[in-house]
Amino acid sequence: MFRYIVRRLLQMALAFFGTTLLVYAMMFAAQGDPIQALAGEKPVSASQRAVLTERYHLDKTGIDGFLYRYWDYVSNLMRGDFGTTLAGRSISDVLQAAWPFTIKLALMAISFVIVFGITAGVIAGIRRGSLFDTTTLLLTLVVIGIPVFVLGYIGQYLLTNKWRLFKPTANDGSLYSLLLPALVLGMLALATALRLTRTSVAENLRSDYVRTAKSKGLPQRRVIGVHVLRNSLIPVVTYLGITIGDLMSGAIVTERIFNVPGIGFNVAKGIQTEDGPLVVGIISLLVIVYLTSNLIVDVLYAVLDPRIRYE
Amino acid sequence: MTDIQIQLDRVADDAHLLDVRDLFIEFHTRDGIAKVINGVSYHLDAGEALAVLGESGSGKSVTAQAIMGILDIPPGKIVSGQICYNGRDLLSLPEKERRQVRGKEIAMVFQDALSALNPVFPVGWQISETLRHREGVARADALRRAVELMELVRIPAAKQRLRDYPHEFSGGMRQRVMIAMSLALSPKILIADEPTTALDVTVQAQVMDLLAELRRELHMAMILITHDLGVVADVADRIAVMYAGRIVEHADVHDLYAVQGHPYTKGLIDSIPRLDHKGQELATIQGLPPSLMDIPRGCPFHPRCPYRKDPICSTQVPTDQRLASGTRTSRCHFAKEVLDGTAA
Repeated sequence: MFRYIVRRLLQMALAFFGTTLLVYAMMFAAQGDPIQALAGEKPVSASQRAVLTERYHLDKTGIDGFLYRYWDYVSNLMRGDFGTTLAGRSISDVLQAAWPFTIKLALMAISFVIVFGITAGVIAGIRRGSLFDTTTLLLTLVVIGIPVFVLGYIGQYLLTNKWRLFKPTANDGSLYSLLLPALVLGMLALATALRLTRTSVAENLRSDYVRTAKSKGLPQRRVIGVHVLRNSLIPVVTYLGITIGDLMSGAIVTERIFNVPGIGFNVAKGIQTEDGPLVVGIISLLVIVYLTSNLIVDVLYAVLDPRIRYE
Repeated sequence: MTDIQIQLDRVADDAHLLDVRDLFIEFHTRDGIAKVINGVSYHLDAGEALAVLGESGSGKSVTAQAIMGILDIPPGKIVSGQICYNGRDLLSLPEKERRQVRGKEIAMVFQDALSALNPVFPVGWQISETLRHREGVARADALRRAVELMELVRIPAAKQRLRDYPHEFSGGMRQRVMIAMSLALSPKILIADEPTTALDVTVQAQVMDLLAELRRELHMAMILITHDLGVVADVADRIAVMYAGRIVEHADVHDLYAVQGHPYTKGLIDSIPRLDHKGQELATIQGLPPSLMDIPRGCPFHPRCPYRKDPICSTQVPTDQRLASGTRTSRCHFAKEVLDGTAA
């Protein structure tokens, strides 16, 4: 297990360099003149241009120059220096301000998934073919079929404009204001987790060891609550682990719709204003979050299912 | 019949530890109704071993599941019949009381221990679970008892293996774990449903020997469900042969091996390869077992029977014929002739 984790960490380092290199290349390939982009509409004098060219090592051209600048960026990143946005703000500060929103949003969304998705999935799995089962099947299919931005705008329109239950924007960061965005954000994961739990429970209910547990004379709630659930939740927990990584990073649409000033909101803003350093900085961090959550899930998988051994 | 005689009969009936009477079970499937059990009756006395023999689909496991109360209903449906344990009809008991019978009075060992044991819990946990949750035994005591049970079924280094998972055991050892688990509450009856089918031949013999020894040591009654005539002889006292959801022949083991009172049983015994018939073609029973959706009219075995006589065999359902010695019965119109070897 220890060797496996070490190997995975090495793979993570590789994946980190690969993804940052790609994002870095794409972000700067899209730009025409970075110095002009920095200055915006204002004209740039020759002396200013010379200073900036030297500061950002823009005198080196071609692939050498690109790799040089990439390495410069990554080595700064390793020291914890994310650099500054084009507007001159420290990216670390931007991240520090944005994280709490995104983490709160992701945790609330995942709570919805666990509380409603898994509970409903277990009930649907036990009562296969019942009214409850078919109703949830229909609802989850609808949710899975509708894109998040449609769901988000409909939710926003109905609950904030029409019935005025929530404020349309959630930029104060209070839990109540994040309730609706979290629901919209978690809806797809909720529907998927529900389907997954339902299938898993239904399948495990028919397995031989459940018959054995019954023949031991255990009460129904123990047969289901311990034997069936413990086995059924293995794939669900795996899915949840990956989803947490997703939610931390994938809230771009939801955060835009509800004006939540989180990570996704800043990425979207960075892309719009062609703010290369900001986008690359955030994406680099998200890569680490995503890889780490994946590693945790894989380790957790071995803990939950004793038949899995990593060598 | 006088009242006294009726009472005597009832006492005699009630004296059986387990008495299955006229059991009918159907399965309702999308393709129609499968008549899986069609009037099965058998009984078991304390300490006795009954072997239930039959091909796949003859209904031997379904009967056992009905006795345990673990039949999936639906699609299964118990149409009629009684399953009396100590004089109480289990089928009319409320689930709460029925549950108390499982494991404590009647326990069951399943065919494939790898899938019948829960893959994510250590074996010690699974064996002690019954004690903890049925008897309220404290965790440490239950685990100590689990070690004793594992030693009872002769698992070497039982204490060290307590925390191992089912997949870490060999096939034979895993089946021993299964047996140890079923013995946790000292049941009066142990139902072993093809306990050796998933095992190697040499290991099969060891597990059968173990079951026979345990039965003697613990004075349990046992129902051994099998399709293998070879494993029955040393373990069982009596044998019930099932075909298409009916018991077609019922006899003491040694009587049945010596001479058969039903053409189906005769076919089974004749198809065992014999050393002294080396070089000859193996005897087989012609045809296939009937579909339970569409059981042949008359005697269900008649399309495959070498002794059939029309029209009686294809129109009339044979009833139990009592044969010479004691409780021996056969469901064949020509039972006596088959038994005497005079049938043609």
